[in-house]
Amino acid sequence: MSRLIAVRVLQAVPVILIVSVLAFLLITLLPGDPAVVIAGDQASPEAIAAVRHNLGLDKPLIEQLGIWFIHLVQGNFGSSLMLNQSVLSAMGERLPVTLSLAALSILITLPVGIFAGVIAAYYRQTWVDTLVMTLALIGVSAPAFWIAILSILFFGVYLRWLPTSGYMPFLQNPALWLRSLVLPALILSLFQIGFLARMTRSAMLEALGQDFVRTARAKGLSEWKAVGKHAFRNALILIVTAIGILLSTAIGGSVVLEQVFALPGVGRLVVQGILARDYPLVQGVMLIYGFAFVLINLAVDLLYTLLDPRVRYD
Amino acid sequence: MAVLGRRDFTRGALAVAGAVLSRLAPGRALADPKKGGTLAYASVSGPGTLDPHVSSSLVELEVIHNVFEPLVTLDNANATKAMLAASISASPDCKTYTFQLRKGVKFHSGEEMTSADVQASMERYGRVSPNAANLAGVDRYETPDPYTFVVHLKEPNVVLLDVMKAPIFPFMILPASQKDKPARGIDVVGTGPFSLGEWVKDSHLVLNRFDNYTADITSPGRDGYAGRKTAYLDSVRFRFMPEATTRIAALQTDEVQLVSSIPPELRGQIEARPELAIREIFPLGGTYIIVNSQYGLTANRTIRQAIAAAIDIGEITEAVGGVNKPNAWMSYPNTPYYPGEKTPSPWYDQKSPERAKELLTQAGYKNEKLIIETNGNYQWMRTTMLVVAEQLKAVGMNVDVRMVDWTTNASHMQQGSGEWNLSTTLFGPEHILGPQQWRPLIYAFANIKGDDALDAAYKGFFSEPDLDKRRELWVKIQEEVLGGGYFIKIADAGRLWAYAKKLQGQSDYPGILQLWDISLA
Repeated sequence: MSRLIAVRVLQAVPVILIVSVLAFLLITLLPGDPAVVIAGDQASPEAIAAVRHNLGLDKPLIEQLGIWFIHLVQGNFGSSLMLNQSVLSAMGERLPVTLSLAALSILITLPVGIFAGVIAAYYRQTWVDTLVMTLALIGVSAPAFWIAILSILFFGVYLRWLPTSGYMPFLQNPALWLRSLVLPALILSLFQIGFLARMTRSAMLEALGQDFVRTARAKGLSEWKAVGKHAFRNALILIVTAIGILLSTAIGGSVVLEQVFALPGVGRLVVQGILARDYPLVQGVMLIYGFAFVLINLAVDLLYTLLDPRVRYD
Repeated sequence: MAVLGRRDFTRGALAVAGAVLSRLAPGRALADPKKGGTLAYASVSGPGTLDPHVSSSLVELEVIHNVFEPLVTLDNANATKAMLAASISASPDCKTYTFQLRKGVKFHSGEEMTSADVQASMERYGRVSPNAANLAGVDRYETPDPYTFVVHLKEPNVVLLDVMKAPIFPFMILPASQKDKPARGIDVVGTGPFSLGEWVKDSHLVLNRFDNYTADITSPGRDGYAGRKTAYLDSVRFRFMPEATTRIAALQTDEVQLVSSIPPELRGQIEARPELAIREIFPLGGTYIIVNSQYGLTANRTIRQAIAAAIDIGEITEAVGGVNKPNAWMSYPNTPYYPGEKTPSPWYDQKSPERAKELLTQAGYKNEKLIIETNGNYQWMRTTMLVVAEQLKAVGMNVDVRMVDWTTNASHMQQGSGEWNLSTTLFGPEHILGPQQWRPLIYAFANIKGDDALDAAYKGFFSEPDLDKRRELWVKIQEEVLGGGYFIKIADAGRLWAYAKKLQGQSDYPGILQLWDISLA
């Protein structure tokens, strides 16, 4: 197991390097100038040039890339141009918001999505299957932005059950933390439930058609054991893969909801960073996200070995 | 040496002879303001820095103008008025300015402000501010005593105080201990009526009432950014909410009591509720079509004039909506440089397709492509340029509209880069501050090079000591800029804010957010 982890971490190094160079090139190749954003919409060319010089943006691109890599090796992700704050510290402040949102949405998604998928597969080609898959399709297709606005108006303004926006840190007030996140987490999980239900249904349909399920039923096992133990366990490989993807999309998919609900998370930070051409910030966040996704994939791979003894990596 | 007291200083500074001018009427007085309470204010985004010497964005200045104070500032009529200075005098040759400081003014740290703090602030400004070029003419500073600060200039400068009153890149006074702090690296300590409390970037920022604030008791009440300021609120919580619908929802549920930037199409949601109201902040700026005078077709003056002739301002403002009023000039009415309604402005709102076609023929136009660049971030800009495109197509021009994001769009305009002929933007305080502030923007945005008439008019302006003659020269400058088709003025524009009616005593001055003299009922 330790060898597997070592190999996968080593494999991740070139991935991270490629991600970091791509992040640098993509953001710097965009037209627009961070000095203009910092100096202001109506700053004179002299003022813009002064800002550019102060920030080292007048250096050749390759020199800027070199400086960034040297700093990276030293554990310095650089400082955000617009926040005047280190990228790691900016990420550290906002990560709890994004992770809270992602974790809550996954907590909602897993039981609902898997249950809906199993039920749809078990009652395939009945009205239950049609209903579940229709709802899943709506969940996958409905724009999160639109649902978020409607939810704010209904639950926040009309019913006054939940706050319309904002965030409260868990350590300051757990109850308000939950109240501030429940609506965005529910909306984020709508897409995820739809996706997971469809994936689970597909995996379960394949498993339910296998010989070992027929054998299990033939030897008199209860439906619960035949489906819940034998079929479901064999479908888990695909479901775990789907959950890995969901974890990634939960973090990435929070961008729109953080904007609408005014949550000070990483997604909102990245949007602002891109709009302001905040090179160090966007590069740093992309690098950290890249690393996080590699870790998620590694965790999924490790789960495969636990779930399926046939999987041999060494 | 002419002595000017704590009065309207703009005209005094402009006239330099230095007559003491009348005090201007302060903003509306509160019937019965109540002390206490926390105001929650929803704004679009949060500040990146609170260093006043490098700040030009509105979200930063909204905090800065409540925390810091300058020596001179704008009053209710946009004239210059002393704030931390008690009086100001200029030598007859306008090479020496002496500021007598108010005594007993305290920083939030508890220390008294002295001339050493003023000198340190000015020196820091000259080192870190993108606007430092305005201090290039300074020979040396002098502090003969703790309450006297003297600026010695290398050359006469009749508009020094006009420069120092600017609300963007403001000349705020910091403690001397901040002198060597880098740009964006100061401790946020000022002399203003509010001090900085908690600040969680992207989430919220809290300002607390500074109970040791030393108000200017020589003024009867507030007066623009100047005057006697009284802080009634215990604290103000800024909440950063990018989505307009969310901001309005928070106002409807009383989670906030004041909201900036309401889209005109959502105005009805506010006005439908009896406890809420809309405030029109006007004028906030002037909107312009910017013509790139160094790229392709629009390098030709006659083509630029043809474009100006085709424009129908009414169609644009109707499509854009919101608060817009026609004004042909680059100064607001009732500001010192406004030429008056009777001064001819034949270039404005011509709506004459015939004249445009005639000029295009005269210029030898052969269906070459005209590129309009606009952005998806600001709806009013996009709508404006789409209407302009249709108006130009109607006179037979071959128009290509290109969409980019605002950062790219702004970079192209400010640096003359990219491939574009027409774009649009809004200019703000220059309409108040006058021709000296306009100069770098005019040259940069329209990409003007080698216009001898404009160069000569500006040269004359800076060397002319008489205000009336400088006004005439400003008209000449505008005749060249607007008549020559570098800029096409659209209108003076405002913005909509919304508030709960229990928030009382808001100023009628259309400036940056002022939190003093307002209270919660």
